[in-house]
Amino acid sequence: MTVAHNDAVPAAISVRNLDFYYGAHHALKDISIDFPQGQVTGMIGPSGCGKSTLLRVLNRMYDLYPGQRATGEVIFDGCNIIGPKVNLNVLRSRVGMVFQKPTPFPMSIYDNIAFGVRLHERLDRAAMEARVEDVLRRVALWPEVRDRLRDSAAALSGGQQQRLCIARTIATRPEVVLLDEPTSALDPVSTARIEELLDELKADFTIAIVTHNLQQAARCADQVAFFYMGEVVEVDSADRMFTTPREKRTQDYITGRFG
Amino acid sequence: MERSATSPSALTGAAKGNGDAVFAAIVRCSAALILLGLGGMVAVMAWGARGAFARFGPGFVFDKAWNPVTQHFGAAAPMFGTVITALLAIVLAVPLAFGIAVWLTEIASARIAGIIGTLIQLLAAVPSIIFGMWGFAVLVPFMAHYVEPLASHTLGRVPGLGTLFRGAPYGTGFLTGGMILAVMITPFICAVMRDVFLSIPAVLKESAYGLGMTRWEVVRRIILPWSRSSVVGGVMLGLGRALGETMAITFVIGNANHIGWSLFSPGNTIASLIALEFPESAVGSLKFSSLMAAGFLLMLISLGTLVCSRLLLRTKAAGR
Repeated sequence: MTVAHNDAVPAAISVRNLDFYYGAHHALKDISIDFPQGQVTGMIGPSGCGKSTLLRVLNRMYDLYPGQRATGEVIFDGCNIIGPKVNLNVLRSRVGMVFQKPTPFPMSIYDNIAFGVRLHERLDRAAMEARVEDVLRRVALWPEVRDRLRDSAAALSGGQQQRLCIARTIATRPEVVLLDEPTSALDPVSTARIEELLDELKADFTIAIVTHNLQQAARCADQVAFFYMGEVVEVDSADRMFTTPREKRTQDYITGRFG
Repeated sequence: MERSATSPSALTGAAKGNGDAVFAAIVRCSAALILLGLGGMVAVMAWGARGAFARFGPGFVFDKAWNPVTQHFGAAAPMFGTVITALLAIVLAVPLAFGIAVWLTEIASARIAGIIGTLIQLLAAVPSIIFGMWGFAVLVPFMAHYVEPLASHTLGRVPGLGTLFRGAPYGTGFLTGGMILAVMITPFICAVMRDVFLSIPAVLKESAYGLGMTRWEVVRRIILPWSRSSVVGGVMLGLGRALGETMAITFVIGNANHIGWSLFSPGNTIASLIALEFPESAVGSLKFSSLMAAGFLLMLISLGTLVCSRLLLRTKAAGR
């Protein structure tokens, strides 16, 4: 077990000795990993290895389901967020999440974004409109939807919906953005757009992305973590991980020998 | 596509046997039977009611009198009672059912939710006569001794709204009737709401929680809009049942031919009026015909509710 230490960059989130259980199933085993500030951390590994589970710990999404529990430390802003006294609504506004499938809310395009913002900030009409336009521009959706902000978000294409979901997530100005296979349901063009987007977003956000697409991890991530059977096998810079992996299991996975 | 027996791959020619045609005929008959049954029922009610409508005209609907001695009949009082008790039941049952459904789907652990969910379904299986007896033996005295005196001393003093809560505490009456109906329709509304809440994709809810919404915000802004039409459907199902419920409400409504704004005053509903008076009216008599006419009006009210709910759903869907 190695913990990547990039001394130059402080960690936005530090995970230490994290164990996670779905009832009796031990899904994450003594995980330790840092998510460096302003960088993209890619998480790769075969299905069921615990990548998504780790994401769900980072914003306490597992709390919605009885029988799921975590032990250990996840330090975010000096606070162990898996402790008992954490305000989940605040945590989730500071650690945003984008899911595998686009999940537009049953409301207009405008409201999809404005609604999340209203939960945490009081903006007047002009400021809200500016915020909506700003995030839609950042996800390169503005030219496509500027004339139909009041239309239902359900009418957008899959790629547009996913960009809307990213816009919605960054509109609340989180510090960390978690992405759970955000492009696996999208066509190549939409995928390329979202990958470009990640590169721009990391200037302002710390990003953790789960992906099954190794090229995607190589293209987007600064740091890559390889998960296997609930453990972090290796964490390293994307360059080293894909050229000279230290562990045999990593090498086997990235060369397609299993997974 | 059936293939002919002689040349297995022929695309044309007679089908093998005519089982398909017979099956089509059977299902077509089943569908036609619905139309026939419904049409027949409306026709019989209208035909039976012709005597009353010929005698009293449209005034039958607005006439408060129901006097077998003078042979003067009007349906206004039982219609009023029917609508008031059903609306009361909806007002009481919908928030309750909604709360239970949200708790079952969002908050309770799976095991507890399973147990409570089954109990609620059992409540739906209790025969209405049992509710009637329980209402008469337990609810009526409770209302007469505690709830109604208390309400008239507190809510009854509020100007305007107080009118609803004044009057002698008989125990029987619109409010008690509405409460019995509420208990009876809550399981139905709750079951519909629970099913539709369960059908909401987990990721949609997780995205909402992921933005930092509270449970209430998720329910209010995500779950309700998403499930609106099904929820309205469930409420209408409950309303339809409340309008037509007979046995339980007959026990607690007080059976007085009365229209008034006090919720404590005894009243009547069409269904309980028919249940009580139908057996003792001679076929072909004016009273018999008047009861048929009342039944016909009940059908119209139920039908109207259904149409309203459809319209409600359509205009809202179009407005999105």
